[in-house]
Amino acid sequence: MQERIGNFGRALFAPITVLYLLFLLAPISFFLLMSVFRYSPMELYEPAVTGENFARLLGEDYYRAIILRTLKIAGLTALFSLLLGYPLAYFLARTRSVWRGVLMFLVIAPLMTGVIVRTYGWIVLLGAQGTVNTTLLWLGLVDRPLKILETELAVLIALVHILMPYMVFPLFSSLAAQDPNIEKAAATLGAGRWRTFFEVTLPLSRSGILMGSALVFTLTAGAVVTPALLGGKNVQMLGQTIYDLVLSTLNWPFASAVASILVLCQFSIIFLYFRGGRRRAG
Amino acid sequence: MPNATLELRGVLKRYGSALGVGPVDIDVMEGELLTLLGPSGCGKTTTLHIIAGLLFPDEGTLRFGERDITRLDPQHRDMGLVFQNYALFPHKSVFDNVGFGLRMRRLPKDEIKDRVGRMLDVVGLPGVEQRYPDQLSGGQRQRVALARALVIEPTLLLLDEPLSNLDAVLRKRMRHDLREIQQRLGIATVFVTHDQDEAFEMSDRVILMNQGRIEQVASPEELYDSPATRFAAEFIGEANLIEGVVADVADGEAVVDAAVGGRYAARMPGGGARSGDKVYLMVRPERVDLATAPPGNGAVPATVTKRVFSGDLLAFTLRTENGHELVASKPSVAGYREIGPDAAVWVDLQDCRVLPKES
Repeated sequence: MQERIGNFGRALFAPITVLYLLFLLAPISFFLLMSVFRYSPMELYEPAVTGENFARLLGEDYYRAIILRTLKIAGLTALFSLLLGYPLAYFLARTRSVWRGVLMFLVIAPLMTGVIVRTYGWIVLLGAQGTVNTTLLWLGLVDRPLKILETELAVLIALVHILMPYMVFPLFSSLAAQDPNIEKAAATLGAGRWRTFFEVTLPLSRSGILMGSALVFTLTAGAVVTPALLGGKNVQMLGQTIYDLVLSTLNWPFASAVASILVLCQFSIIFLYFRGGRRRAG
Repeated sequence: MPNATLELRGVLKRYGSALGVGPVDIDVMEGELLTLLGPSGCGKTTTLHIIAGLLFPDEGTLRFGERDITRLDPQHRDMGLVFQNYALFPHKSVFDNVGFGLRMRRLPKDEIKDRVGRMLDVVGLPGVEQRYPDQLSGGQRQRVALARALVIEPTLLLLDEPLSNLDAVLRKRMRHDLREIQQRLGIATVFVTHDQDEAFEMSDRVILMNQGRIEQVASPEELYDSPATRFAAEFIGEANLIEGVVADVADGEAVVDAAVGGRYAARMPGGGARSGDKVYLMVRPERVDLATAPPGNGAVPATVTKRVFSGDLLAFTLRTENGHELVASKPSVAGYREIGPDAAVWVDLQDCRVLPKES
């Protein structure tokens, strides 16, 4: 349906448009331009067009591994957030319990503390003397503490936890928006609970699945603090690589090339999301 | 008398501390269209959902043929339910919507294709298999929902206000079409509506419900002519309710002294009244006779206070000499056309019924 927006509507859009132009489009243009400049140890960069930054990024195994690791962790984080978040979102969307409001609050609550605080929380839990290891030792399941910190697993666990609300809320809203009669109709036509779920509920929540996965994927791909603190040097991802290149190495052109690749990955996911969302229903 | 296919006995459902419905006893006969009629919140949809198995009753039992199905899950009941908002699967084509129940029954593909095609013919929508629900009009969606419920050859068809989302013209045509399909297939049907016209035009029998309880079970004609309670009289059509005192009872008929003046013999569909009981005398507006000259049979003098012309009918509001108000509905023909506002008339009441006062 096409609706008339009018001057008033355009006026309402103006502030956000200005904000995006200044703080999103301008920096992106800046580093896209910078990414084809040549690095200069003396003047940071020379405005000479070159492909050497991208050639190095895609050519060196070290950087290729970082790109692939980032995509892998982002994909796994999105997947596990989905698997763990879906039952929760489904319960929240369907329950008539008086506790629903409280549970919704608990889902949002983690957003109220900073990401650094939550990441430190995981260091306490996952460290050699942490709660997880002492529990495993006490149960006799392991002989000595497992090395969880500074592994991809630690980063994955923490990111799934930290980004869970971004998965649960899109899922919740698409599940809550479903007409409850549709599931009942499936039941009267002979579908049991599981068949109703896979035939009706799951496909109808596709927009929520896509939205939540795209959000968690892009947020993970750009994550800096959590991979740095929990993964350290063992789990280098694109975000931290850019950070190091900008602030330590001072190689801005190369940092810009890395940032371009990161943004390209994120935009591809968002593009896929809109492609997927445009198909029928959901 | 045909056999009952479905029997509800003492069925009761509470929502928290509030009563949803019950206790009610309902029999659905083979091949009949039984309507649950009543205002919103009367428990009719709750009753339908209990029949479908979408709700389990707190008390009472459901028998279906020889089986107790009180606690049977809906997917095992073989009942076709058409929802008020149709509840079509928006992500599935018409073919997949209608074929859904057959696929759940693991029928071979050829048979599904065949039966879906035939059922779409029955509901008058051939050739729309590949379309999606959002590409159909409201009336078409309604027919698809009906086809989806009927294609599984259910033992009972359940209709939850299926016509209320259609525009007036389409609604009238679908009433006729629904009834025609139902009779052709000979399928026992429970139809829920709040619309009295729908109930009358379509039903074999009507169960009138109010506040979770059954007020009356009757054919449409009987329900109109002989409502058993004050609620029934006022919910179905228009009714004059005149206070009166029973003077005598003989042969199942009461003789009532009416407050408007005059003495009337009346049947007692709401149960026996005794001499001296205070009752209501119910008379339908079209049964209020008007005469411009004294007919000399004990008719009561009155004045026309309002006259509304609506094409085929004239509605008169009358005030009797002793101050009671009555409404009369008369065909808009010579003899009545001439009666204007403020005219003096004589009123006689026909086909009166006695209703208990406490109801």
